[in-house]
Amino acid sequence: MNITRRSALSLAGLAAATAALSACAGTGSGTASAQQEGNGTLQFWSNHPGSSRDIEQQLIDAWNAANPDTPAELIDGGKNYEELGQKFNAALSGGELPDVIVASDVTWFNFAFTGATTPLNDLWESEGIDTSTYVETLLADYTYDGKNYGVPYSRSTPLMYWYTADLEKAGLPTDGTGPATWQEFAETWAPKLKEATGKPALTVADGSNYLDWYFQGAFWTFGGAYSTEWDLKFTDPKTIEAGTFLQTMVKDGLISVVKDSANEFGIGNACGLLESTGSLGGLKESATGDFITTYLPGPKPGTTTGGAGLAIPAGISDERKKIAVKFIDFITNTENTITFTQATGYMPVRTDAADVPEQAAYMDENPNAATAIRQLNENTKSQDYARVFINGGGQAIGGALDKIVAGQDVETVFTALQEELQATYDRDIKPNL
Amino acid sequence: MTAPSIPGLENTDLSRQPRTRRVRTSAKTVLIGTALVLPNLILLLVFTYRPLIDNIRLSFYNWNIASTRPATFIGLDNYIEWATKPESWQIVWQTLIFTVFAVFGSMVLGLALALLLDKPLKGRKAVRSLVFAPYVISGAAIGVAFQFVFDPGYGLIQDLLGKIGLASPAFYTSPGWAMFMVTATYIWKNLGYTFVIYLAALQGLRKDLDEAAEIDRTPRARKFWRVTLPQLRPTTFFLSITVLLNSLQVFDIINVMTAGGPLGTSTTTLVYQVYQETFVNSRAGYGAAVATIMFLAVLVITVVQVRMQEKNNDR
Amino acid sequence: MTVDTAHARSLPAAKPGSALAQQQLQDASATRARRAASAPGTKTTGKILGYAGMILAGLVIAVPIYFVVITSLKLRPEIYSDPITWIPQILAPENYTYVWQTLDFSQYFVNSVIITVTLTLVEVSLGVLSAYAFAFYRFPGSNLLFYLVLGTLMVPNEITIISNYALVAQLGWRDTFTGIIVPLAGVAFGTFLMRNHFLSLPTEIIEAARLDGTGFFRTLFKVVLPMSWPTLMAFILITAVTEWNQYLWPFLISDTGRVAPLQIGLTMLQDNEGLTNWGPVMAGTLLATIPMIVLFLFLQRSMIKGLTAGAVKG
Repeated sequence: MNITRRSALSLAGLAAATAALSACAGTGSGTASAQQEGNGTLQFWSNHPGSSRDIEQQLIDAWNAANPDTPAELIDGGKNYEELGQKFNAALSGGELPDVIVASDVTWFNFAFTGATTPLNDLWESEGIDTSTYVETLLADYTYDGKNYGVPYSRSTPLMYWYTADLEKAGLPTDGTGPATWQEFAETWAPKLKEATGKPALTVADGSNYLDWYFQGAFWTFGGAYSTEWDLKFTDPKTIEAGTFLQTMVKDGLISVVKDSANEFGIGNACGLLESTGSLGGLKESATGDFITTYLPGPKPGTTTGGAGLAIPAGISDERKKIAVKFIDFITNTENTITFTQATGYMPVRTDAADVPEQAAYMDENPNAATAIRQLNENTKSQDYARVFINGGGQAIGGALDKIVAGQDVETVFTALQEELQATYDRDIKPNL
Repeated sequence: MTAPSIPGLENTDLSRQPRTRRVRTSAKTVLIGTALVLPNLILLLVFTYRPLIDNIRLSFYNWNIASTRPATFIGLDNYIEWATKPESWQIVWQTLIFTVFAVFGSMVLGLALALLLDKPLKGRKAVRSLVFAPYVISGAAIGVAFQFVFDPGYGLIQDLLGKIGLASPAFYTSPGWAMFMVTATYIWKNLGYTFVIYLAALQGLRKDLDEAAEIDRTPRARKFWRVTLPQLRPTTFFLSITVLLNSLQVFDIINVMTAGGPLGTSTTTLVYQVYQETFVNSRAGYGAAVATIMFLAVLVITVVQVRMQEKNNDR
Repeated sequence: MTVDTAHARSLPAAKPGSALAQQQLQDASATRARRAASAPGTKTTGKILGYAGMILAGLVIAVPIYFVVITSLKLRPEIYSDPITWIPQILAPENYTYVWQTLDFSQYFVNSVIITVTLTLVEVSLGVLSAYAFAFYRFPGSNLLFYLVLGTLMVPNEITIISNYALVAQLGWRDTFTGIIVPLAGVAFGTFLMRNHFLSLPTEIIEAARLDGTGFFRTLFKVVLPMSWPTLMAFILITAVTEWNQYLWPFLISDTGRVAPLQIGLTMLQDNEGLTNWGPVMAGTLLATIPMIVLFLFLQRSMIKGLTAGAVKG
């Protein structure tokens, strides 16, 4: 092509104009600290966890009826927590901010840490909001630097699901006891089930589908962890032992790791399932037989919690924040958390929910749902920082567990993982702590 | 009208000057020409080139997209980090594998089908429509639907393999099979595009050459190599560029089917990495650096492709 | 080597000849080749293999589609049955009613139509006009500007999103059709396609029209476009399909059902934690695809007609 001088000049002109335009757009300048005034309607960005769109709309209608001066609106924030995080990220980069967002276990910290969401304690105080009835551990999950950055909303915990018929065939208890430890699982439960049915004793989702979350508690029961606070523990011998345990179980055909574990169990390809409480409703419909749920193996705590909470962006005006904090209190109040959790399978986030007769009756009728709520009090603790606080941590751990499942050397994989996450921590987090 | 209206068949020689070159450049033609191009050009400048430049600028910054702290200038650090991470080269390699198979696969199969359905076979019209159908379905929908084809537990393939006593490959957990799966799905979806363009081109081929070959009783394979294929060269060039650029930017299928896994990054391509870093890990500056690297690579590949085509034409 | 597969599949009849031709393309003796090609029975074998290839291709495409269709008609337990069922034991058309009731389907549908129709009209107009200028007018830097247009094909969406989002938000275009449509309206692929096509048109006709003093729009509509229907149809189809299936950009820009297209509405059928009921998801996917299939069948007729007409004349 012939670039004449004139065309070169015109191109240069265009480039200059484009550059000028791009400077105007102002991305990367961190403008989200302005105090945005809204349009008078509270914007609640949700991905409707647990297919809860209708329930959420119902709760919002109730809010609007009670607070006609400060109406709220439900905004579709995407099909999962990742998409919602993405939409919020985009808004932070220079758009209009919502009033309340759903923030997942792995996104809330980044938002709190970077100042994108606001601490709630002062707002609670000034608005006279009583937080004492929140389930303590669930509320504590959103603490950073002594302040609360979120309120539990759609919270879940992993459970063990077992086909009753398979347990009977293997001569194992069907009273909801479950294996007490992973050692008991490996020595008694798994071989018996495998022998009686020819199927893997347990199926669990792979690293792209949150194996790092489901199996987190197992690391604790071995005395290991992903991390202790900011101290990474992947190369700890106990952690490696737990990793090796997972690898051996898979190699021996006792645990199967698949993409869609709930369906693998649902069609009867495994005797047991390690899955979130969120699958209860669906499995009731699609499982090929009766099943029970049990705690995850101990010693306690044998597992953790997950799911999402509600947070408030820092960049909105104080007036908006005050309304938002009241809205959050309303959406998660005792009555509404019962409505929400019964429709979705998540856990009630208020302790006094259990005192409501309606909820007590529900627990009696649904022993499987009750398992989750009881386990919450007895068998859980907050997640390790390495998974939920380091950007991309969960995904990196999931990828490493995939490699271990595929037979790669546990120590090598975990050493590389430790280095990777340590570098991320040193670069993104440490300087700003 | 010798060369009928065929998408992509015609003059794909980019450097070729419009034939009206000889016409005097009058003030009026300059005015009309510019006026015709301007609206489109402004849109592209504002919504493609401006972001591109912005992106290149951001690639020199450490910027957490969610942060209220302003981005800090860090020079080439993002690029250095990228180049020194083994993961990056693995992703480049995977992008290359995916692209090469996707481009060749869809072009070769598209041409084969076009040749086949160009013949007077009964029912070809129905099959033609069928072959194009996947192209109109969204990538995300296909990704979702194909779990019922590939899933080793309840999918179609495991069912068919089971009938002849074979076990299903681990499509979602084995890196190689996962890559096979996303590539095959991509080809399945995009076959319609290459097929339709090749078919259109075939139907417009100069029949006199064909007839000459017919009278000459040239063997068909030879006819294909010496008559058909050379005539299809412009179409092949057009397709190779558009399919290449398209396959390098594939996102939906990977996002829905494997989310870049298994083993964390086994089906992650460069575009997917850009998305992950920017929106999932909030590292917009690093994401911008990966995006810039990718853009430069695509630019080089395309320029080489165009140059090769020009050389071919000169011969 | 890759092309080899292609011809082996499509021209299986010439087996003896093709082996020869591959060995020595240059010196293959014409007589021997002739003998090989006229061997008795080749034609029937060719036909049979042709049909076999056609059926195989048809099956590879059709079976997954059929599977999606029957999945959309299955109840949850049957979707995951192993072995799979080829005919639903219990037909579940309620999946479709569920989609209709759960989503505000008609609202999303109308939004999709508004976005797709507007974008297609704008893009096709802009594409044709710029292609026309690049093909028939000479003005300073025209070549360079063409490269500039073409270059945008190399910029992935993911790169432009953040910056465009910020601009659109500043302009106050969030949650509006304007915000969704304007940033997508620039057209590079179509310009490339149409310019290539226009360059292949016989120059004389356009010259003649110009000498006659025919105006620009008259030349375009009376002379150039009538010779371009099939390419134009392909352009329209590809544009409409692309815009109909847009997801990421409208997702970020739209907040409510007021402007969000169907592809976003469909995600509401999926459950992010726990079990998605895939029957309604497949039903929704099919419903969302039907308009594009109809458009294709509609455009295909004129596309093929135009193509064959051209071929006959040639």
